[in-house]
Amino acid sequence: MKTIKDKVAKLSFVALLMALTSAMFYTPTASAHGEKSQAAFMRMRTIHWFDLNWSKDEVAVNDSMTISGKFHVFAGWPETVDKPEVSFLNIGIPGPVFIRAGSWIGGQLVPRSVSLELGDTYEFKVLLKARRPGDWHVHTMMNVEGGGPIIGPGKWVTITGTMGDFVNPLTTLTGQTIDLETYALENVYFWHALWYSIGLAWLLFWVKRPMFIPRYIAVSSGKADTLISATDKKVAIGFAVATLGLLMFSMGATNDEYPITTPLQAGLMRGIKPIEMPETSVSVKVEDATYRVPGRAMQMTLTITNNGDSAVRLGEFNTASVRFLDADVLEDESGYPDDILAEEGLTVSDNSPIAPGESRTVEVTASDAAWEVYRLADLIYDPDSRFAGLLFFFDEDGNRQMTMVDAPLIPSFI
Amino acid sequence: MSASQSAVRSRAEAVQVSRAFDWMILFTLFTAVLGGYHIHYMLTGGDWDFWTDWKDRRLWVTVAPIVSITFPAAVQACLWFRYRLPFGAIVCVLALMLGEWINRYLNFWGWTYFPVNFCFPSNLVPGAILLDVVLMLSSSFVLTAVVGGMAWGLVFYPGNWPIIAPLHVPVEYNGMMFTLADLQGYHYVRTGTPEYIRMVEKGTLRTFGKDVAPVSAFFSAFVSIIIYFLWHYFGRWFAKTDFVAGEGI
Repeated sequence: MKTIKDKVAKLSFVALLMALTSAMFYTPTASAHGEKSQAAFMRMRTIHWFDLNWSKDEVAVNDSMTISGKFHVFAGWPETVDKPEVSFLNIGIPGPVFIRAGSWIGGQLVPRSVSLELGDTYEFKVLLKARRPGDWHVHTMMNVEGGGPIIGPGKWVTITGTMGDFVNPLTTLTGQTIDLETYALENVYFWHALWYSIGLAWLLFWVKRPMFIPRYIAVSSGKADTLISATDKKVAIGFAVATLGLLMFSMGATNDEYPITTPLQAGLMRGIKPIEMPETSVSVKVEDATYRVPGRAMQMTLTITNNGDSAVRLGEFNTASVRFLDADVLEDESGYPDDILAEEGLTVSDNSPIAPGESRTVEVTASDAAWEVYRLADLIYDPDSRFAGLLFFFDEDGNRQMTMVDAPLIPSFI
Repeated sequence: MSASQSAVRSRAEAVQVSRAFDWMILFTLFTAVLGGYHIHYMLTGGDWDFWTDWKDRRLWVTVAPIVSITFPAAVQACLWFRYRLPFGAIVCVLALMLGEWINRYLNFWGWTYFPVNFCFPSNLVPGAILLDVVLMLSSSFVLTAVVGGMAWGLVFYPGNWPIIAPLHVPVEYNGMMFTLADLQGYHYVRTGTPEYIRMVEKGTLRTFGKDVAPVSAFFSAFVSIIIYFLWHYFGRWFAKTDFVAGEGI
């Protein structure tokens, strides 16, 4: 019996070692930004990103790329999320693998937070300069105070080269040209090392002599006053005077060396200009909408009225950055990320051109695995079970019109 | 050797054991304070200490001394009350700054690649020396709180200005004016830290023009005095010995 127990113990130990070793070799890369875990209603009913363009898929260290496009601030913004009165155009990347060389909304540089208006559409651009080699998922992102990060679509971008070559040159208003990557680093090290050494000297002055037991005995027996000598007091005064002297000297020397300095810049930026969107001539009424859980498809009954002077067809339904296209009407040529592009994901019961003045009720189905993969199907568990998105209509000449839809969604479990 | 006999057989051995004990306690104190003080300071001072674009002349100057005088006050109370050792503040600050430098260099730079000139810690050494010296010379916790606590708050900004001043040089960038520290915050993307979280230059100290740092430092110094008192009592409580009577003991 003992032999069997020993063998079991040995085998268990070997198994444990093997498990630990294999765990060490299995180190998958964490590369997502949590976009799938955000509540579906938040992605569907807050910021709608469209017409996005990543200027490059591969970029060398020190080279630049841009992400540009438009975003629509949904008028039916959910009550549970604070309105975007204080928002910041961010970029979803794993740390400073790029530097953000510039970001603009409506042509205005936006290094600080901005105020956005519900129902408006804005044009944006983010200029990135490659810094750290690797494959990075680069997302658009809007942070909203009281709402959190509202992440947009992401695309993989490769940075080549070596980070050691990265430079970030700037010329200050005092005429000095610097590399912000390493600027003033020696100064930081110098002052920290100097002050740390002075502190260490004060500590060493005390720890070089017997400390805890003898001093405790002395204090307990009422001889505490004998533990601090006149020399100790002189040394302490010397340290205090040296500290104050060094502070005064370093302040004076610094002010002489940097006579022109300014406070940190802060403050909300208002008055960001939206795009003047053309008046839409297509009106859409959502009669009903259901999400078929087994089929991973959303079905809408829409009554579409064309009030314009040219026939239109429905080409795209865009929600939570997932694009469902009717391949007969629209083909993506922007290189939109595959995982959130359903090239044939939009089916319309009758998608023949809707003539001017015509009103038609159609069944529209948006189906793709993205509903499940991007956890949009979780919408049915949200506190406000409504969906929203952008519908894009196209006339014969390819002119586009954008219409919002926003309606309750009923789940179907069978 | 019986239980009633001494573990040491000579004075020389006793001194040797006592010194070994000294180093063990000092090492334990240093590392325990490094961990506890570091967590405390990261949770309360946090971003103000992490990033240069948070190190402003109003809130950083106000907040950092107030939240950092805590452990020095408590450890001073313990070391002075029990051992008449006047290095409670400096041992805390040296432990904290060592921990911070390890964190900033290995994590902020080594792991996530934020440049060190963007995420270096604040310098707390001048205030710690003054706090220790005042306690030693006065042997009074009241005077240490009032004079030392005041000094702790007042010297924080001068102790850090030579380090941050180069980063407050202005630069024109795409038609706007920034300090270099602002630009560091803008360039080196912190995905989880949107700009509106940054609490800098907020407040109502507008009647003092550009010279708000001394006013903020004085306010910080006054509150540091109060916090010193509070945390000094924590230290005393922590260092006391209780003798409990009872039948079962």
